[in-house]
Amino acid sequence: MSKLVLRDVRKAYGATVALANGALELAEGEVHVLIGSNGSGKSTLCKIVAGSVRPDGGEVLLDGQPVTVSGPQASHALGIGIFYQELSLAAHRTVAENISLARLPVKGGLFVDRQRARTIAARYIAPFADVVGAGFSPDAEVGSLRADQRQLVEIMKTLASEAPVLIFDEPTSALDRAQVDRFFEELRRLRGEGRSIVFISHRMDEIFNIGDRVTVIRDGRTVATKTIAETNQAEVIAAMVGENREFAIPATSDEGAATGNELQAPDGAPQSEGESARPVALQVENLTGSGFADVSFSLHEGEILGFGGLHGQGQSAVLRALYGTDTTLSGTISLAGRQSEVSSPRRAIREGFGYVSGDRGRDGVISGRPILENVMPVHFVKSRRPLAVPSRLNEQAIPALSALRTKFATLMHPISSLSGGNQQKVVIARWLIDRPRVLLLDDPTKGIDLSTKTELFALIRELAAEGMAILLYSSEDAELLGNADRILVFNGGAISRELQGAARTRFNLYEAAYSAAERAAS
Amino acid sequence: MTQASFFPGGSQAARGLLARFPFMPALLILIALIVLNGVFEPNSLSYRAIRGLVSTYLALMLLAVAQTYVVYAADIDLSIGAILSLVNVSVIVLLDIFGGSPAMVLLACVAGVGIGALCGLVNGLVVAGLRLQAIVATFATSILFTGLALYVLPVAGTPAPAAFWRTYGGSFFGVPFVFAAAVVTAIVLYLLARARLITQLLAVGDDAQAAFQSGLPVTAIRIKGYVLCGVFAALAALCVTGDTASGDPLVGGKMVLNSVAAVVLGGTALSGGFGSVVGSVIGALIIGLISSLVFFVGTPSEWQNLVQGLAILIALMVGVLVGRKDKS
Amino acid sequence: MSAAPQTSASGTGQFAQSAAVAKRPLVIALGLIALLLFTGEQLSPGFASLDQILRLLIVAALLGIVAAGQNLVILGGREGIDLSVGGIVSLSAIIAGNVMAGENGGIVPAILACLLAGSFFGLLNGIGVTLLRIPPLVMTLGMLGVLQGLLVVIRQGIPSGRAAPALSEFVSQPVFLGLPGIIWLWLGIGLLMAFLLRRTVFGYRIYAIGSNEHAAYMAGVPVRLIRIALFVLSSMFAAVAGICLLGYSGSSFANVGEQYMLPSIIAVVFGGTPLSGGKGGYTGTMAGAVLLVVLQSILTTINIDESGRQIVFGATLLLLMLFYGRGARMRG
Repeated sequence: MSKLVLRDVRKAYGATVALANGALELAEGEVHVLIGSNGSGKSTLCKIVAGSVRPDGGEVLLDGQPVTVSGPQASHALGIGIFYQELSLAAHRTVAENISLARLPVKGGLFVDRQRARTIAARYIAPFADVVGAGFSPDAEVGSLRADQRQLVEIMKTLASEAPVLIFDEPTSALDRAQVDRFFEELRRLRGEGRSIVFISHRMDEIFNIGDRVTVIRDGRTVATKTIAETNQAEVIAAMVGENREFAIPATSDEGAATGNELQAPDGAPQSEGESARPVALQVENLTGSGFADVSFSLHEGEILGFGGLHGQGQSAVLRALYGTDTTLSGTISLAGRQSEVSSPRRAIREGFGYVSGDRGRDGVISGRPILENVMPVHFVKSRRPLAVPSRLNEQAIPALSALRTKFATLMHPISSLSGGNQQKVVIARWLIDRPRVLLLDDPTKGIDLSTKTELFALIRELAAEGMAILLYSSEDAELLGNADRILVFNGGAISRELQGAARTRFNLYEAAYSAAERAAS
Repeated sequence: MTQASFFPGGSQAARGLLARFPFMPALLILIALIVLNGVFEPNSLSYRAIRGLVSTYLALMLLAVAQTYVVYAADIDLSIGAILSLVNVSVIVLLDIFGGSPAMVLLACVAGVGIGALCGLVNGLVVAGLRLQAIVATFATSILFTGLALYVLPVAGTPAPAAFWRTYGGSFFGVPFVFAAAVVTAIVLYLLARARLITQLLAVGDDAQAAFQSGLPVTAIRIKGYVLCGVFAALAALCVTGDTASGDPLVGGKMVLNSVAAVVLGGTALSGGFGSVVGSVIGALIIGLISSLVFFVGTPSEWQNLVQGLAILIALMVGVLVGRKDKS
Repeated sequence: MSAAPQTSASGTGQFAQSAAVAKRPLVIALGLIALLLFTGEQLSPGFASLDQILRLLIVAALLGIVAAGQNLVILGGREGIDLSVGGIVSLSAIIAGNVMAGENGGIVPAILACLLAGSFFGLLNGIGVTLLRIPPLVMTLGMLGVLQGLLVVIRQGIPSGRAAPALSEFVSQPVFLGLPGIIWLWLGIGLLMAFLLRRTVFGYRIYAIGSNEHAAYMAGVPVRLIRIALFVLSSMFAAVAGICLLGYSGSSFANVGEQYMLPSIIAVVFGGTPLSGGKGGYTGTMAGAVLLVVLQSILTTINIDESGRQIVFGATLLLLMLFYGRGARMRG
């Protein structure tokens, strides 16, 4: 019998349907992979199981019994343990306290039994003992740990729930290979014990390594469930992308991407020959800062320069440094031949930089405020006028928003009334009123649906064609391969390889990113 | 935004010490103040003087401790002064009605603590249960509690029975009661620091969302924090009653902001999740010693408040600056 | 969810809720004011007479002017709050009283002196909060202690000072269309605040830093400068209120301003600006100030003890708070 069954689960936020038809059958003793692009509804599905979101309809069966998961406490009581992607740790508490936070061992009915908490912690740390790295102990404060170590604590905490059903929402994003291997060994052991595990990841190799079955979710619907043995990467990707090929961005629409074969640069992308003829917009020399060292490159007007490589290898850090939010220790930045000092975003804007972050919620959206107020701040910096006359602002905002085909009711509606993709369009529209010389795109399409992505990249290529110089970091290789004229592959905070022209293939990109990573790990 | 580290590179040890003992800077300030007090008035370090200091400031120490428990969970209680007043007048009036026999005194004290706990429960229900903002909600309850205190005793002045203040000011086997009380409090605080509730409060203050996701009953924990706060405010009220030997329906009003200042001085973050009651006790002592030092150095009386205010402001700023940990 | 406007068609449920709440506070406050006036009239005929209402408005104007600054600081977010306004009001009343010393000729220098003093302390608050990154509650609390000490020093050395006749007249006598000058001043401040918040880049930026400070910083908003300006403005409004208070009471007495510290925050909250900042405005705060003053006044007309009055006042405040932005329910 299936351990956990979700049937026809639905959830809508206003007019936005997050989950149209969620179905999942989780057997005992299996690792069930849930995969889907960002915004496909898999996090909503998880939240419903976790009890943090109430479904509008459908049923959840645990051991054949219909259950209502009213909240995290209820899900704990029902025996569901959840690894939260954004982690659920208390930074000032110790590793041991965090691992057993939900059921701290007590003596005398009142006092925390620290010794036992440590023993419990030690039990769950043990399997990872040789991969946790320096500074990790049951008594270490979680806030003092590295990102990968914190992620391990969240894993241990999830395991410590000893729940029959375990849900891991992207548990490996910060882990290195050895840590992932050890984690997978634990998962296999648990599977052997008969536990039911839902595993969510974007890494294809991990999915095929650990999964027993895979369920693909697309546009809020679970579209297919297959055993790993009877499917392959191409089929999974095809199921994720679906039939709507017109929504697919150029690179993924290419047959090569779907089969994981070598990918040629699409014809639409300008070739790098002749680039050097155009004037240099941005020259970066020996830039060193926190998270990157000795980075040098030049960017020409009208060029889209991609930053590639595994996540978190210094790509974002370089972009943020150029925008003046991260400190640079040494090196020079020259815009159009003139050396520029960027000490803050304000300075960077005046110097001619623009920046779009993929982390809309933190860096982009001024939440709760009208769309108009979200479009104007950059213009305010450049115009230096003290007055804000709504009619004049409207005249400036509307063309910028319509250039991106942003869907909105009125400019006075709060930005939170828009979908994620449209919110990001508003944030990008900031840079269309007074255009920057160099636009820095820091994984700008994170969590955005495919059709919006297509529109955004069409606009980005248009801006480049008009002469804007663009630096693009994307965590999705297909976006880089499909849009960048050149790609700089980052590794460990340095540029490890430059891919130009015909060399811009998925194979080369992977090779540059992964082989260097192995070198770093060994 | 970059943020310069307060410690220049290499002082990892100092940072580690600070993480384990958030009250370190406060302790240094306290020692400096004790030394300065001793320099300017050697008598201030005498047994008598210290006994006087403790008996005057025990109430503020307990009140600061009370405030600390709600601040742990990133809440705040502006009504603890009113709770203190209400307990003070309730105890006095109870003893006035039922007589001041030792048994009655004990009973009245227990009743007082019960009233404090009840007030804390009201605060907890209002702030955590009804999800009102702590600052304004506890301001409203402070008006409510003050009204009740005025109802119980409209004007200040009813004296406490002799059994009460004689005990508070007296000695047992040569040990002054206030010292014994301080030691008992210290033991209670030491034990309480190990209670599960404290860890839970700190976890809630650290990141309420994460605590909730971990399966902690966040609302119940915050309510318990307020009840604990009410209990300690009531204990502070008993000290005030012993020290002043009378009832005053407005006695606690002025102590509220000092309790918050003491908490911050002690290195506890108002944003929650981090701190210690030891620090708050030290913070209360710092406030006490600053005012005595201001007096001992011979500040003209009209300047004393200003100098004291400035010294506290500077101590607050130093405390926050030193205690700050780097955040990205 | 309550009857939210149909704008929700394009947005999420959360939006419809917040839009409804954003519009409600002013309506709630005005409705409650009307209700209280009606009740007051029943309890004690003459309570809602024009004369009495004008008197209430004068008292509300004093609170409302302090609340204007408080409102700005709160709108700016990051736990923005100014506990030092009470001290500034007292200080300003004393300075004004001494500088003008009962002479009309001293009014202008007094105003200048008060604004200067106010902006000085506001600047210190702002610097402490931004450059030293002291939490506003701590910084302004410490500043309140300093101001209280300063008041003792000042009062020791000099007489309490008297209001100039013209100032007293301005505050309590009709100057135009039957309304006292202070009410015109308050309306003027209301217009100024509306202009500042809705028609200037500065205003847009206040909301931006209050809603998402980091995103605002990334979009080029000079966050620190704005926040310092907010604290300076807060102290300057408190200074103006201090001058008016002197005119209202004739002479300044110790710590007159302290009664404004927490009520100014409540007025802001009742006006629909949550303490978390980033939304709301001053129109609601004006209504909030009137609401508070009418509520207090109705309690004084009821024939009950001071204790009963306080109990009813506290309970009513709690009840009213239930109408205003309660915190979000915990969600995983």
